[in-house]
Amino acid sequence: MNFELKNNESKFLIRLADTATILGQRLAEMCSKAPFLEEDIALSNISLDLFGRAEELYKIICTLENADYTPDDLVFRRNERQYFNLKLVEQPNEDFAWVIARQYMHDVYATAVYTQLSESSNSELAGLANKVLKEVKYSHLHSKDWMDRLGLGTEESNSRLQLAIDHLMKYVEEIFAWDDLDRKQLIDCDKITSAWENEINQTLADCNIERKTIQPLSMRDYRDGFHSEHIGHLLSIMQYLPRAYPDAKW
Amino acid sequence: MESGVKVWEVFVQKKSGLPFKHVGSCHGYDKKMAIQNARDLYTRRGEGRELWVVESNAIVSVPLDEADAFFDPGEDKIYRHATFYKIPEGVNHL
Amino acid sequence: MQPEGNWLLRAPSLRAKQVLLAKIQDEAGHGLYLYSVAETLGISRAEMVEQLHNQEAKYSSIFNYPTLTWADMGAVGWLVDGAAIVNQVSLQRTSYGPYSRGMVRICKEESFHQRQGYEIMVQMAFGTPEQKEMAQDALNRFWEPALMMFGPHDADSVHKNQSMDWKIKRESNDHLRQRFIDRTVPQAEYLGLTIPDVNLKLDPSTGSYTHSPFNWDEFWNVVNGNGPCNQERLDHHKKAHYDNAWVREAAAAYAEKVETSVA
Repeated sequence: MNFELKNNESKFLIRLADTATILGQRLAEMCSKAPFLEEDIALSNISLDLFGRAEELYKIICTLENADYTPDDLVFRRNERQYFNLKLVEQPNEDFAWVIARQYMHDVYATAVYTQLSESSNSELAGLANKVLKEVKYSHLHSKDWMDRLGLGTEESNSRLQLAIDHLMKYVEEIFAWDDLDRKQLIDCDKITSAWENEINQTLADCNIERKTIQPLSMRDYRDGFHSEHIGHLLSIMQYLPRAYPDAKW
Repeated sequence: MESGVKVWEVFVQKKSGLPFKHVGSCHGYDKKMAIQNARDLYTRRGEGRELWVVESNAIVSVPLDEADAFFDPGEDKIYRHATFYKIPEGVNHL
Repeated sequence: MQPEGNWLLRAPSLRAKQVLLAKIQDEAGHGLYLYSVAETLGISRAEMVEQLHNQEAKYSSIFNYPTLTWADMGAVGWLVDGAAIVNQVSLQRTSYGPYSRGMVRICKEESFHQRQGYEIMVQMAFGTPEQKEMAQDALNRFWEPALMMFGPHDADSVHKNQSMDWKIKRESNDHLRQRFIDRTVPQAEYLGLTIPDVNLKLDPSTGSYTHSPFNWDEFWNVVNGNGPCNQERLDHHKKAHYDNAWVREAAAAYAEKVETSVA
């Protein structure tokens, strides 16, 4: 199947869609592994929102591309280099602090991005963005509360959160290395960068977490399908059935 | 045994204007967590538009063995009910 | 949550993944409703978790069987949830109020679970030959364990009399089991799958199906901890619980700081 995208808008949207899919899958991994049952349900809920969002975005892409493939084909039949998610969201669930830190950093980004997309001239996209904003707002509330609890809870939780933040910050630089596609589809990219920086700095300061200086890393851009090694393992699990039984319908 | 987690009673209002109805309980370490847990546990299918959570131990109830003393004396005061009174035939709107 | 969680990450379509996740989420919710019911009787959740971990508390034996293929997600929803629903519908009339209300809520939510399972069975049974084979294999493995979910025969049920006298249980194990068999056999016929019981026959005089005797030795062995996955299920639960103790401690410490200062 040829998954090369021709339309500029869909080239941009697939970044958002893949980011939602991969983060959804990471959160689904937490099923039956949360600190208590209520939190298990909460993480599943956020995961469900993300898969629902991904599916809607893939549908828009399929329409824009006038494609002979489906959203499921996009999810289950593309390889590592054809995925365009933020490296941030493919990072593993080392512990609950990683789950929360990754989620919070994503939610702050997603809030800013979908706010701008809600004013898109593509009315289907604008409508979706408005729906997504409510989900993101809730997820943001949830992850921010946990940032406070972990940051200010105990010495152990603070140091675990610090570790998670130290690691995950390495994957932030690329998020704000906007390219022409981003600048075309979003109203004001620099505003997203500064909104993210301001809120993250404030939150980290409020919950006693240090933001360390990170040397620029030459890890190449997610926009070109570059990843950490984690992605292959995630995809091989996720895509197992459709790949193993290519003729089967599910 | 771990401590610190509290039990909260959950009340859901189906839509604005209707009374809040007790639906069960949930756990939470703090208020914000309690109300979020209640949301995820009791309103996943659009069961409500508003929620209350109240710490279970903030609820005062009549001790089981005092129920007779509390409620039986109210049972024979039949003059508190409209049906107690006789109204002459032909008199309406009372 | 664990037997189905085993396939959540490998669900073969976006739809299947969302449905399965929502279903597992419901199951977690149902666990919580029932923990809450038990809490109204004066036992804390922490005590119940402790009882689960030191094996004083039992859970349904069916979850000690492994889920080996995707068709098992169909069989679990169709047969295991199907059997559970027959039981739970009956328990809506249980005599203990909080339990009854919990069951009413659970039954309402369960109604999609069995259907989603059957939907998977339909896809598999009418799919490629490989898929159909997986569906038959899943039915073969889950049929008898599902029937044994209703518990021992009435004559051998230890708690039967008291539970029935107190109206906690409203119908006997054998009665409920027979109802489930009679409903399920035609569903298997529609799928073109064979129920793995050579003695399964419709008795025209009663309208009910007769069946072979069950392998109760296996049942008791699994109940007593020697099933294929008992140890794994328990270890998984313990690991999640103890690995995350620091999160619960942090939440407690934070609540202590914040809620006392605001009040």
